[in-house]
Amino acid sequence: MARFILSRLAAGIVLIVVISALAFSLLYANSENVARRILGQQATVEAVERRTAELGLDRPLVVQYGDWLAHAVTGDLGRSWFTGELVVTGVTSRLAVTLSLVLGATLVSGLIGVTLGLLAATRGGWIDRVVQVVAVLGFAIPGFLIALVLVLVFAIELRWFKATGYIPITSSFVGWLSSVTLPILALALPTIAVVAQQVRGSVLDALHRDYVRTLRSRGLNEVRVVWKHVLRNSGGPALAVLAVQFIGLLGGAVIVEQVFAIPGLGQLAVASTTKADIPMVMGLVIATATIVVIVNVLIDLAQAALNPRIRLA
Amino acid sequence: MKDSALFAGSLIRSESSADPLTHLGNAKKKANLGACLTGDPPEPVLPKRQRFWGIAHWEEPKVFHWKAAATALAMAAMTITGGAAQEGASTLVLGQFIAPATFDAPGAEWGNRSLYFQAVYDTLLNVTAEGTVEPFLASEYSYSEDNKTLTLKIRDDVTFIDGTKLTADIVKQNLERFKNGGGPFAVDLVNVESIEAPDATTVILKLSAPDPALVLYLSHEAGVVASPAMFGAADAATNPIGSGPYILDTAASVNGSSYVYKKNPNYWNPDVQHYDNLKINILADPTAIVNAIQAGEVNAIKLTGNTTNDVIEAAGWSMNFNELDFMGLLLFDRGGQQNPALADVRVRQAINYAMDREGLLQAMQQGNGTVTTQVFKPSSPAYDPALDQMYPYDPEKAKQLLAEAGFANGLTLSMPSTAVLGAASFTLIQQLLGDVGITVEYVDTPAENYIADQLAPKYPAVFMALQEDTDWQLIQFMLSRTASFNPFKYGDDTTDALIKEIQSGDPATQAAKAKELNKYIVEQAWFAPFFRVRIGYPSDPNTSVTVMPSNAVPSLYDIKPKT
Repeated sequence: MARFILSRLAAGIVLIVVISALAFSLLYANSENVARRILGQQATVEAVERRTAELGLDRPLVVQYGDWLAHAVTGDLGRSWFTGELVVTGVTSRLAVTLSLVLGATLVSGLIGVTLGLLAATRGGWIDRVVQVVAVLGFAIPGFLIALVLVLVFAIELRWFKATGYIPITSSFVGWLSSVTLPILALALPTIAVVAQQVRGSVLDALHRDYVRTLRSRGLNEVRVVWKHVLRNSGGPALAVLAVQFIGLLGGAVIVEQVFAIPGLGQLAVASTTKADIPMVMGLVIATATIVVIVNVLIDLAQAALNPRIRLA
Repeated sequence: MKDSALFAGSLIRSESSADPLTHLGNAKKKANLGACLTGDPPEPVLPKRQRFWGIAHWEEPKVFHWKAAATALAMAAMTITGGAAQEGASTLVLGQFIAPATFDAPGAEWGNRSLYFQAVYDTLLNVTAEGTVEPFLASEYSYSEDNKTLTLKIRDDVTFIDGTKLTADIVKQNLERFKNGGGPFAVDLVNVESIEAPDATTVILKLSAPDPALVLYLSHEAGVVASPAMFGAADAATNPIGSGPYILDTAASVNGSSYVYKKNPNYWNPDVQHYDNLKINILADPTAIVNAIQAGEVNAIKLTGNTTNDVIEAAGWSMNFNELDFMGLLLFDRGGQQNPALADVRVRQAINYAMDREGLLQAMQQGNGTVTTQVFKPSSPAYDPALDQMYPYDPEKAKQLLAEAGFANGLTLSMPSTAVLGAASFTLIQQLLGDVGITVEYVDTPAENYIADQLAPKYPAVFMALQEDTDWQLIQFMLSRTASFNPFKYGDDTTDALIKEIQSGDPATQAAKAKELNKYIVEQAWFAPFFRVRIGYPSDPNTSVTVMPSNAVPSLYDIKPKT
C-alpha cells in the first residue's frame, strides 16, 4: 500500500514539474512589453529597460525557468509584478476561498446526488422519472445561469443571502454562510445531476447482480443489502465522477466567482492573466496542478479502500 | 491621464466603456428562468420509504426537523441580510471595478483608484467638481513671476493617525519619494528640479520649466502625504498611515475584494467626513454590479459600460453620467514615416469625413455619449463647439479628397485590433473606411500588448479610447513631441510655438492659445475622434453624488447622504 501511494505521489510530482515548464514557456513567450505594462505608458524608455533588467526578462528562457524552479522548490514563488504581493500569500489566501466553495459544492452534490441516485434506482416509478428529468435539466442548464436565478430569487427578491462579496469564516460564521451558500448551490446543481445519474446507473446494475439475489435469498433485510453491499459496490464509479467533477468545479468557480464578486482563485486568475502577471499566474498553475494531483491520489486511495482488487493492480 | 491611459493595464474592463463581457440583462433572466425553479422536489411517500430508509420511529421526526431547520435557517438569513440593509445611515458602501495596486504613497494613482487614497490620505491641494484648485493641506499656494517657483504654506494643525504632526519637511520628503519612487505617475513631478522646506510650514518647489498642470497633480496622486512611519516600512503597500478622513481597517478588509474604513476621530476637516464607516467593494462583472444594486448591497458604484443602464434606472437609482473618454482613431503617423499617405492632410481629413459618428455612437455605445471631432472636452478653455461641425459624415467628399491627394484608386492602412475592444467596432470602422476606398488591414493583437504596440510605434493609426484631461495634461499626453500618445514625435512649427506659449503664459494667454491649438489640430486632422463616451456612477435614492469632469470617479468629499 505504501508503495502504491509513493508511486502515485512520484508521478504527481513529475506531472507538476512538466506542467510548470510548459506554463512557463507559454507565458514567457508573450512576456515582451511586461515592463511597459507595469510602468504605464507615461514611463520613459530608460525606466522600462531598467525594469526589464530588474525582472530578469533579458535572460534566456532556460535560465529564467531554472531560476524560478530553484526558488519554487524552496517555497519562494516570488512577488506579483504588479502589486508586489507575495505570490504564496496571494494564492493561499484565495485558495481558501475557492476551496471552501468547491469542497462545499462537492459535499452538497455528493450527499444529494447519491441520495437522489439511490432513491431513483431502488424505488423506480415516478420518483425515478422525476430524478431523471431533474438530472437532465441539471446537465442542460449552465452553472452561471443557475447562479443568476439563485441571486434573483434568494438575494434580490427574498434578501436571504448576499448577492455579491465574501465574508471570511473567521470574521463571522453566519456572514460566511450567507456569502457562500448561493455560489455553492450554483456550483453544485449541475454536479448533483451527474452524480445522481451515475449512482442510479451503477446501483441498478448492482441490484441485478447474482450476489444481490443470493443475499436476498438468505433473507437479508433489503435495507442492509442496499446500504452495506450494493452501495459499496457502486460507490467506486460515483467517487470517480465526484473527483472529475471536483476538478471541473475549480474551473466552474472562475465564472461563479465573477458573478458573485468573490475573491477566489478564479478572480485572481482572470485579473493576473489579463495583466500578464507571470509570477502570479505561475503560482496559480502550481496550486491548481497540485490540487489535481492530490485529489487524484486521494481518490485512488479511496477506490482502493472500497475495492481491494485495485490495490493489487 | 489616469485610467484611459491605464486602460492600458486592465484594458477595456477599465474605463473603456466598451463592455465586452456583459452577459444577460436582468429582465431576461427573470423571464427565462423563473420556470426552472418551480419544479418542486419529489415528496417521498412514507410507507414506501420505510422499505429502505428504515425505521419508522425516526422517520416522522426527521421530516419535522427538516422543516424546522429550514425555517430557522430562513429566519437566520433574514437577520443577516436585514443587518446588511441597515448598514445605511452612517455607512457608505461603494462599488469599484478595480482594486488598489498599493497603498504606498509613491505608488498613488488617481482616476479609478482615487477613492482608496482619498479615504486615508490628504492631498496638498484639492480640485473641486467645477475644476477649481483650492487649498487643502497647503493653506495657500503661489507662483513666482516666471511660473518656475511654487510656494506652498502647510497647515500646522494636522496630525497623522499615528500621532505624528504634519510639517513642511514631511511634505518635502513625500514629494521627493513620489518623484523618485518609480510609481506609475512619478512623471507628474518631472519638471520639479528641487524641493526646499525653509521652515516648518513652507515648502518651495523649484521647476526646470513652467508646468501649468502641477497644481492639479498636487491635488491628485502627487499631492498625497503619508506619515514618515511608512517610509520604507515592509507593510507600506497594505497599511496606509495618513491624515485622511478615514482609517483603513486592515483586519476587516479582504485584499482584492473589500476595503473597510472607519472614520478618523481626530480629522482636521470634518466638513468632508460624511459617514462613520466607508466600505469599497470590488465589483467588476456587469452582472455582479447589477445584482449588488438590486440587492441593495451598495450605495453608489462605478459602471464599466452602458448595457445595464435601464435595469439600474428601473431600480430607482440616479445615473450621474460623466463624459471622460473619447473614442476614435488616433492618426499617429502624421509625418508619413510608416504610411506616407497619412502625411497628406487631405487623407487624414478624408478619414474624418468617412466616419458616420452618429451610427458609430449607436452601434458601440447604444447612443450613450456625444459625437465630437475634437479631443478637448467641453469644460476646457480650448473647447470650441463650432469645431464639431468640421467633418460631417460625407463619403463623397472623402473620396474627392483622396483623389486630390493622388489616391483615387484607394490606399491601404495597417491597424491593430483586439478582441476585448469588441470585434464589431473594428468591423464597422473597416467598412466605413472601405466605403471611401481605404482598405484597413488589421493585425490581431493580444489585449496586453495593444497599447505597448501603439506606443512602440508599430502602427500608423489605431482605434482607441483616451481620457480627456485638462488642457496642459492633454497636451503633454497626446499632442507635444514628447507625449506618449504621439509616438512618432510629430509636430510642426505652429504646434511647437503654441505649446510653448501655453506652458509659460498667464491663464488668459493659456486659454486663448489652447483654443488656437485645438482648432489647428482639428483642421490638420491629427485625430478622427468619434464621440465622448458617457459612463454612469449611479447612486441609490439616499445618496447624492456630484460627478467630477476631470476624474473617472467623483471626489469622496462629494458623495454625501441626501438630506
